[in-house]
Amino acid sequence: MDGNLDEPRFRELLVESGDLQSDAMAGARHDLNAYVEAAQESRFENRRDLRVGGAVLGAGALGIAALALASPAFAASSKDVMALQTAASLENLAVATYTTALTLPFIGGKSANGVVKAFATMTKAQHADHAKAFNAAVVKLGGKAQNKPDPKYLKAVNAAVPTIKGAADVVGLAITLEDVAAQTYTKNVGQVSTSELRQLFSSVAGVEAQHKAILLAVKALLGANLASEIALPPNAAKLPAAAGSVGFPDGFYPTSMASPVAEGAVQ
Amino acid sequence: MRFKRNNQPEMAISEHELTAMTAELDMLHNETFGGVAKTLDEFSANLAHMSRGSNTARRSFLVGVGGAAVLGTVAACSSSGGTKSSTTPSPTSTGTGSGSSSSTTATSKYTGDLKVVALAAALENLAVTAYAGALAAAGKGTYGKVPPAVATFVTTAMAQHKDHAAAWNGVLTKASLPAVTGAPLTITKDQVAMLNAAKSIPDVATLALNLENAAAQTYTFATANVTDAGGIMTAATIQPVEAMHAAILSFVLGKYPVPDAYIGISGAVQPTALTI
Repeated sequence: MDGNLDEPRFRELLVESGDLQSDAMAGARHDLNAYVEAAQESRFENRRDLRVGGAVLGAGALGIAALALASPAFAASSKDVMALQTAASLENLAVATYTTALTLPFIGGKSANGVVKAFATMTKAQHADHAKAFNAAVVKLGGKAQNKPDPKYLKAVNAAVPTIKGAADVVGLAITLEDVAAQTYTKNVGQVSTSELRQLFSSVAGVEAQHKAILLAVKALLGANLASEIALPPNAAKLPAAAGSVGFPDGFYPTSMASPVAEGAVQ
Repeated sequence: MRFKRNNQPEMAISEHELTAMTAELDMLHNETFGGVAKTLDEFSANLAHMSRGSNTARRSFLVGVGGAAVLGTVAACSSSGGTKSSTTPSPTSTGTGSGSSSSTTATSKYTGDLKVVALAAALENLAVTAYAGALAAAGKGTYGKVPPAVATFVTTAMAQHKDHAAAWNGVLTKASLPAVTGAPLTITKDQVAMLNAAKSIPDVATLALNLENAAAQTYTFATANVTDAGGIMTAATIQPVEAMHAAILSFVLGKYPVPDAYIGISGAVQPTALTI
């Protein structure tokens, strides 16, 4: 661990953080349960409508199609299920990437900055929590859990990993993944069908954005040859003025890089 | 405002380059704002249409959450009686709206989604007030020597909050309602008092952290409780920004910067905190 790190204090912070996260997880599970109930009610209403439609259509092709569409895996929540699966795929990729990063000496090894190592460890755990939560909702809605990584960004990660030469490269890659996740969930807020799911995606989007903010700050400090200031707290007096704003570049979070809802859906 | 610079250590990239990066980021921010402006225009058009029609057809903000009171960290600090004001609070004044009870008037001109918009504008104005007050106090030497990075954080975050307030107020004025020009909230008086009592950078950073967390949680709550699609997306795109401010403030304070796996809503400021 880095000599500048107050390791006992940092461990205390991690324990406190873990307690807070447990509380937050309990809240998130409540949100998920509420969402699933709302979505199931919505599906019930939809099935009832479809049965009416089927009766009108008799045994015709459209009537059969309507009954098929009323199967558990579809209903009104199919877009919601795909969004949740894509979210899980992005989280799976993040977990895999941080796992790989932590095997590198300058992220998880002896030459690693202690704060960076701890941050990568905690962030990986948070992404694992998100994946688990998203998949739990998918399964409760009758869909299949997504245990694979997002296919589009898996290629990007696979291409980037062999070129990694130092911590800054890893941080840059992580920024991309966190940003894509945050943008995707921000956009998902406007795409899903229930208020509970809007809140869930929003609550996770903010966390991915926070990961990005810290990574942007870390990247700037590494680039400015101020790795020693990646500490809790940093010596603010030693930071360049511009470092004060590098962590939050947008006044409104963009969505132009958001993954399409179906990008990581189970095929 | 100028802050005295410390001797800067040798850097792999110069501060000039970092400043240039920041300018690029500002440009990106302005480009992003274009998209948000379009969303807000649509939002305004919908709300203006609704305000001319029947509001009763629209779901009340609190429907669906059982009217849950969700004043958290920020509001928990508020304890004084309520008054009404729509003027911008001065950090040194104590006469602005504040109170511990839900004090929205029965005759509020802001209803439904527009009440959430007014709440958001007031919260953003409160953040601007806090940061402006901090800068003014720093200029007087209240906090001692202020690091340049801290000054940059304050000015940049304040500018973003001003943009957020302007966006929300644009919705109000397009709906033929008055813009919220101050922070008419039950929590304002105590927040201003806390700002006036702050004597160090950590004091004021803690105050700002609480405000940023409250804002992020309020917007999270809003995404589930606003009915208009444009309003939902506006809250959704601002929420991560407030969360990022909070993360950086936590980092500077030596706290773990991303303590929660989910942004909660227990610290959200409820619409009934609006005093106009």
